[in-house]
Amino acid sequence: MVKEIERAGITIVQMANLVSIAKTVGANRIVPTVSIPHPLGDPNLSPADERKMRKYRVGVALQALETGVEEATIFEVKY
Amino acid sequence: MKKAVHYINQFFGQIGGEDKADYAPTIHVGVIGPGMLLKNTVAPEIEVTHTIICGDNFFGSNEETAIETIIGYLKGVEFDLFIAGPAFLAGRYGFACAKICKAVEEHFGVPVVTSMHVENPAVEMFRKDLYIFEGGDSAGAMRKDVPALAKFLKKLANGEPLKSAREEGYFPRGIRFEAFTNELGADRVVKMLLKKLNGEAFITEMPMPKVDRVDIAPTVDLRDATIAFVNSGGIVPVGNPDRIQSASATKWGKYSIAGQDSLKGGEWQTIHAGFDPSFANENPNVIVPLDVLREYEQEGRVGKIHEYVYSTVGTGTTQADASRMGAEIAQQLRDANVSAVILTST
Amino acid sequence: MKLEIGNFYVKDVVFGDSTSYQDGILTLNKQEALQVVREDEHITDADIVLAKPGDPIRITPVKEAIEPRCKVSGGTLFPGVLNKLVPAGSGRTHALKGTSVLAVGKYWGGFQDGLIDMSGPGANQTQFSSLINICLVADTDEEFERNEQQKKNKALRWAGMRLAEYIGNCVKSQEPEELEVYELPPLNQREAKVTELPGVVYVMQLQSQMIESGHNALFYGWDSNRMVPTLIHPNELLDGAVISGSFMPCSSKISTYQHANNPTIKNLLKEHGKTINFLGVILSNLNVKLEEKTRSAMQVRQIATSLGAQGAIVCEEGYGNPDADFIAVINELEDAGIKTVGITNECTGRDGRSQSLVDLSDKADAIVSTGNVSQLLKLPPMEIVIGSLIALARDGNSGGWEGSVKEDGSIEMENNGFFCSDANTGAHYKTVIEY
Repeated sequence: MVKEIERAGITIVQMANLVSIAKTVGANRIVPTVSIPHPLGDPNLSPADERKMRKYRVGVALQALETGVEEATIFEVKY
Repeated sequence: MKKAVHYINQFFGQIGGEDKADYAPTIHVGVIGPGMLLKNTVAPEIEVTHTIICGDNFFGSNEETAIETIIGYLKGVEFDLFIAGPAFLAGRYGFACAKICKAVEEHFGVPVVTSMHVENPAVEMFRKDLYIFEGGDSAGAMRKDVPALAKFLKKLANGEPLKSAREEGYFPRGIRFEAFTNELGADRVVKMLLKKLNGEAFITEMPMPKVDRVDIAPTVDLRDATIAFVNSGGIVPVGNPDRIQSASATKWGKYSIAGQDSLKGGEWQTIHAGFDPSFANENPNVIVPLDVLREYEQEGRVGKIHEYVYSTVGTGTTQADASRMGAEIAQQLRDANVSAVILTST
Repeated sequence: MKLEIGNFYVKDVVFGDSTSYQDGILTLNKQEALQVVREDEHITDADIVLAKPGDPIRITPVKEAIEPRCKVSGGTLFPGVLNKLVPAGSGRTHALKGTSVLAVGKYWGGFQDGLIDMSGPGANQTQFSSLINICLVADTDEEFERNEQQKKNKALRWAGMRLAEYIGNCVKSQEPEELEVYELPPLNQREAKVTELPGVVYVMQLQSQMIESGHNALFYGWDSNRMVPTLIHPNELLDGAVISGSFMPCSSKISTYQHANNPTIKNLLKEHGKTINFLGVILSNLNVKLEEKTRSAMQVRQIATSLGAQGAIVCEEGYGNPDADFIAVINELEDAGIKTVGITNECTGRDGRSQSLVDLSDKADAIVSTGNVSQLLKLPPMEIVIGSLIALARDGNSGGWEGSVKEDGSIEMENNGFFCSDANTGAHYKTVIEY
């Protein structure tokens, strides 16, 4: 689906857990998520910390949309 | 006994050479040129009753008319199979064969077969859509290419079970299905290992495909942009009003998030069957992070969040359906002037 | 470590006064057998029904398959799970061949259960149609998971193990018709002519996706999600150190029966000393988190390299996101110069056109394909159903959906929901070809 949206000229960032797969199937901007059942959640964190992590990772996704890339790129997250 | 129609170009139809490549399509009773060899090799199960001749240039420059005319002729004919070529290395002829085969199959629903050399440009374009048999590079291969077609046509006529593409002799169409072998998996895997260890040739049962990459979309100035959420994690309003399937999905839905600060548990759910749903059901923002993107919207980091979220389920879904859904969603996004997307997959 | 497996070839199974085996006939005292089953109060309703090859019988929902066996010496059956935790893989084990205990739900199915047709066009789909199946059909009081799509099926599976041991015990003191002997000495006790041969490891990636306990494959009773890869002796797998789990789409699942009868390992043991030096089995897993996948792949490579492996076979118990682990391990091993062959199934979609695995790599150039989870099957009605046919359509089976069961009893389903049909241990005759 990512490819079709990008093919239409819309800039897209994929937030996915298995970044190696996302890269292989052709997504160009990729941000890692925490896990499959809770991509932007973490039951080990307090709700406040979890929201902070979520905002941070979405922020990285926004940065990815603003960043020029030459090839499929995984944007690293610190937490 | 089954009936077949044969399509050939102006040269094999004995009309003329390059000078007659503008020949408009005609239909004839019986066989012409290589049709004779075809007729003899498919007998007695199949009778080649008619031949269509069309100039390669006519087809190339007037594709719609050519196809319309030929379909028109065929409407008056009773037939069960359609054969085009062999086209060998002739590029225009190969295209014409492939295109007319596709059109006949779409229109009449009969099996269609053609043949050409692997380097004929039509092969790469159409191998996924048709039975294109592997043929020689010039008319000198006619004596081999036609019988190969005939053998397969008889199988189709008799309704015999078909073997793999390689075994039958046509270019693999990228369709992979189960088959039974008489060798246990354990024997095959150890044999393959020993061959690989000893540097001997072996054939993998699962060739790795080449990836089709898309042109990278430009950067976005988010402060002015409308940004949308798309997800394959199955986030839908509770009750799944559009009945999107939990696996092997063929549908997607679009749901309003206008005026919502975040996705509330109890109003939304995940219908994706491939993982533990409890987290997402309790807090749908873990898949569609509306709560934090609203903060960015209020802060002016992004211009505007698009009023709809687009959802489907990504487990077991075929690539074909995923591509179609992606294209359909892309169309809606373009119409809504969305220039940035965050897609969450699970 | 030397393991002897004494085989008794069962030609027929009947009910009778005393559970015993004689001249190919296995007799079962149903009352006694059911008493063993009902030792667990959670079993509220139980029956034992026989299904033989060629019978017009459809069995679903099948949760597990276990070979009836007993330990004559050298340990216990299902150590750390049903019986005392002691090492498996040595001494003498007796096995009743040609038959299997199946744990079947009387009413309730789920995502992870499977279907078996004992005859007709669906029979070939799985190896279990060629066994005499001793079906434990039961209901339990496990209300907490009654309506869950993912069930632990603990009472049924443990009852199946008890039943398999009870039946296997009847040949404890008999002379087996055939003796398989598996002896693989420690690495430093092998002759030069053996150690000169290329060293080979077998990597078994167990299904371990669930976070909650009670679902994943178990290694001596330990949840495979909570382990890092480790080296084990092939005899341990052949002697019940691993119990199958309960949560994953069934065609990709390796049942307890199939673990104990792993023909790839048996082939490697046969080749040992002739064409290869079989170094051992690396037991790995298939966790969900990317970091855990990376950690396991790293460890597999480290163990294989430390052992001096030159070749490897990698078996993936699953499809979908576990393909990432499969590819990661192959990449790691190939990067270490180890010639690797993989064995797994694929998911090419209903139209057959989706790429076989979710992840790709040019280094995965040698793969044996065992089946296609997406394969659509339309099967005629069967005279007799053991279990509950509607469970296929109603309970979220991985290969079924709302319309899967037609009024006349015919079914439409994906291979995904067939019982252990792809047999990634290499135990079946399916492959996937391109059309």
